[in-house]
Amino acid sequence: MTLLENLAAGFELVANFESVFALAGGVLIGVIAGAIPGLSATMAVALTLPFTFAMQPITGILLLLGVYKGGIFGGSIPAILIKTPGTPASSATILDGHPMVKNGQAGKALGMALWASCTADLISNLALILFAGWLAAFALKFGPPEFFTLILFSLTIIAGVSGDSLLKGIVSALFGLILATIGLDLVYGTNRFTLNDPNLMGGLNFIAVLIGLFAIPEILAMVWNPKSKEGETQNLGKEWVTFAEYKRCFKTIVRGSFIGVFLGSIPGIGAAPSAFLSYSEARRKSPNKENFGKGEIEGVAASESGNNGVAGATLIPLLALGIPGDVITAVIIGAFMVHNLQPGPMMFLNSPDIIYGLFMGLIISSVFLFLIGSVAIRAFSYVADIPRGILFPAVMVLCVYGCYAVNNNIFDVGVMFAMGWLGYVMLCKGIPAAPFLIAFILGPLLEDNFRQSMLMSGGSAEILVRGPITWFFWTLTIITIVAIIRSGMGKKKAEAVEHGNQE
Amino acid sequence: MYIPRIAKNNKPKLIIAAAMSAVLLSSSVIAADYPSRPVNMIIPYGPGGATDISARTISEPLSKEVGKPLVMVNKAGAGGAIGSVAVQNAKADGYTLLFARVGTHTVNPAMKATLPYKLEDFRFVGVYEINPVACAVKADSDINSMEDLVAQAKAKPGSVSYSSSGVGSLLHLAAAMVLKEFGLENPVKQATHIPMKGGGGAATAVLTGTATFLCSNSSSLASFVKNKQLKPLLVTTAEPVAGFDAPTSKDLGKPALEQLVGWTGIAGPDDLPDDIAASWGKWLATATSNKEFKEKMEARGSVIRLMSPEESKSFINAQYKQFKALVDELGMRVEG
Repeated sequence: MTLLENLAAGFELVANFESVFALAGGVLIGVIAGAIPGLSATMAVALTLPFTFAMQPITGILLLLGVYKGGIFGGSIPAILIKTPGTPASSATILDGHPMVKNGQAGKALGMALWASCTADLISNLALILFAGWLAAFALKFGPPEFFTLILFSLTIIAGVSGDSLLKGIVSALFGLILATIGLDLVYGTNRFTLNDPNLMGGLNFIAVLIGLFAIPEILAMVWNPKSKEGETQNLGKEWVTFAEYKRCFKTIVRGSFIGVFLGSIPGIGAAPSAFLSYSEARRKSPNKENFGKGEIEGVAASESGNNGVAGATLIPLLALGIPGDVITAVIIGAFMVHNLQPGPMMFLNSPDIIYGLFMGLIISSVFLFLIGSVAIRAFSYVADIPRGILFPAVMVLCVYGCYAVNNNIFDVGVMFAMGWLGYVMLCKGIPAAPFLIAFILGPLLEDNFRQSMLMSGGSAEILVRGPITWFFWTLTIITIVAIIRSGMGKKKAEAVEHGNQE
Repeated sequence: MYIPRIAKNNKPKLIIAAAMSAVLLSSSVIAADYPSRPVNMIIPYGPGGATDISARTISEPLSKEVGKPLVMVNKAGAGGAIGSVAVQNAKADGYTLLFARVGTHTVNPAMKATLPYKLEDFRFVGVYEINPVACAVKADSDINSMEDLVAQAKAKPGSVSYSSSGVGSLLHLAAAMVLKEFGLENPVKQATHIPMKGGGGAATAVLTGTATFLCSNSSSLASFVKNKQLKPLLVTTAEPVAGFDAPTSKDLGKPALEQLVGWTGIAGPDDLPDDIAASWGKWLATATSNKEFKEKMEARGSVIRLMSPEESKSFINAQYKQFKALVDELGMRVEG
């Protein structure tokens, strides 16, 4: 069949009431589930799966994809409004999204999140349709040594989110690295810092750490000093995002989308690191560098394009190789198999109608995401108007519930509060929380891939420079570190000169 | 008006009645009325995993038999240990049960010294599915049989590696067991184990060339085999597995490998009453004969095989003993 015939066959599958309804319904379910802290996109997809068994294959899969995309976007709503990310993928959105709410720009932040998400979604889908084969071949070149160098490079993000003091950023990152070592050792299977408590064997729950670190310190600060913000008026945030702002951030969004597409096509990385990497790259390149972390709209655009850029691209290894890149796509593979479809290279030959139907559906899903997302953010943005005396206790209840719901484990709620106190102390001492989080996500990945590389080579470090991909990331890492040191020294010199002038 | 008068006149009688009903409630009534409220079913792995999907698929026909809703609760972490401990410590009233799996209940107890529970802490009400294990290499590999693989491991020590979904997983034990069966004296020394995170990661590691081979549930390898990305070397069942053009353990004359299969079952704490276990055995029998359920499970490559509570116990104990002996012989036990 030619491409045109394939497209026609695919169109026939998608252009019916059920498929369109499934997509719209899926996106709606996803946005709502994503917006509830503790009900992650993964859970929403897993809970929707049984309903797809009775449907036509294409309808069922489109429903799940709708939930997935909606969920990733929905997570950014609470991240921006109440500093509590609905899904791990939206944790980078907090950094600038929540300060914008405090500046009375809730509507603007949510609007930019939506525009960036939809643009990234579209780019990601186009990348899937046009470059699936090429990107899949690229992904297969990624073994543990390549992962190791990529993550090593990603750790330089810490310098970008440290705020004023790199030293404080490193302290924060070290906390994250230490706490990430709790749990079972990957290679030996032995217990590390578990105090013989089975609850600690799985390590600290990521959502519990995330909510504890970002949402709880705000509440504690409010309890400690309830009168401090009394005179402050809440802004509805009637200001919506303008096209000029979108145009200004367009380059950042495209860059974030491509970062998302690359990281998404490599199995096993996920949306959160992609969002952070996109954020730090945007900050490095932006003329408004100083404003990042204080409510910069470009920061929201960067992180949201970074995490939604992953959504379409994770389907590349899924469709082209049959490899699930993360838990969500593993669930979606289940939906394929129930209908006797085996994702992989043969599927492009055996059932091209399904593949092209999916492609069409994906493009339509970007449109639905925009329409349903617009309604959702308007409905949710009134949260910014709720008086603090009512909002904060409600957020507290949501945090506890959300944290418990992830694993139905009361221990996680304890972890959340312990992290909350740590976060509060860090807040008081001016230590930024973002480096902690990045180290907590990337630290274990770095360690695991390093040790897997060493197992592969029998302990020889040569494997870490085994090919062009590793050389590329080593070079990037070195360039970035040199740049950080130089800018640090430049700052010191400028300070010294200023100091001298004053005397 | 009405209630106070009764209370005044018949106080002693009321107390006796209340006490009697309390006694009744606490003992015999439970079995007759069981279940009188929803049953918590703990899934010790996260949403979307093989256990989760299997559990949610059977919950549909099963809840119709039970007559009360089955509340599916994911308690993931530490290779299934957290969910298992939750059921180990639960009251044996039949309202908290576990979806137990080969990993949590035979491989882990055999391999991990510090596991917070033992196989004896559980009473099985049934096993309902079996997953054959298959070993495979990358499709373009020049290894074409188990003999080739073992020959290479012997000729060039350290050149053969196998991926798994983590230390103490079925995949870890399976690869070591298969190598040992085919004549490699010390698989732990002569081959390299590369643990990945999760079963998907393990299969990917073979595709990217990080590891030489893996042994995993046939269902998780089926699509790779069908797409000619992986080449199967053997399946551990005596009967051939659909879609796998590879010799069976029977063809290869290795009957010991027949024990090497994955399974999913339902278990409660060890003091679960007999009548409750018997009821579940009955409900499982009806649920597993449901046509729709069978179709869904078989589409994902699992084999429906129902075992009664007694059969489940002897099957699992036999597998545990075999695994334990292998682990001790190879020194694979994880201490500390």
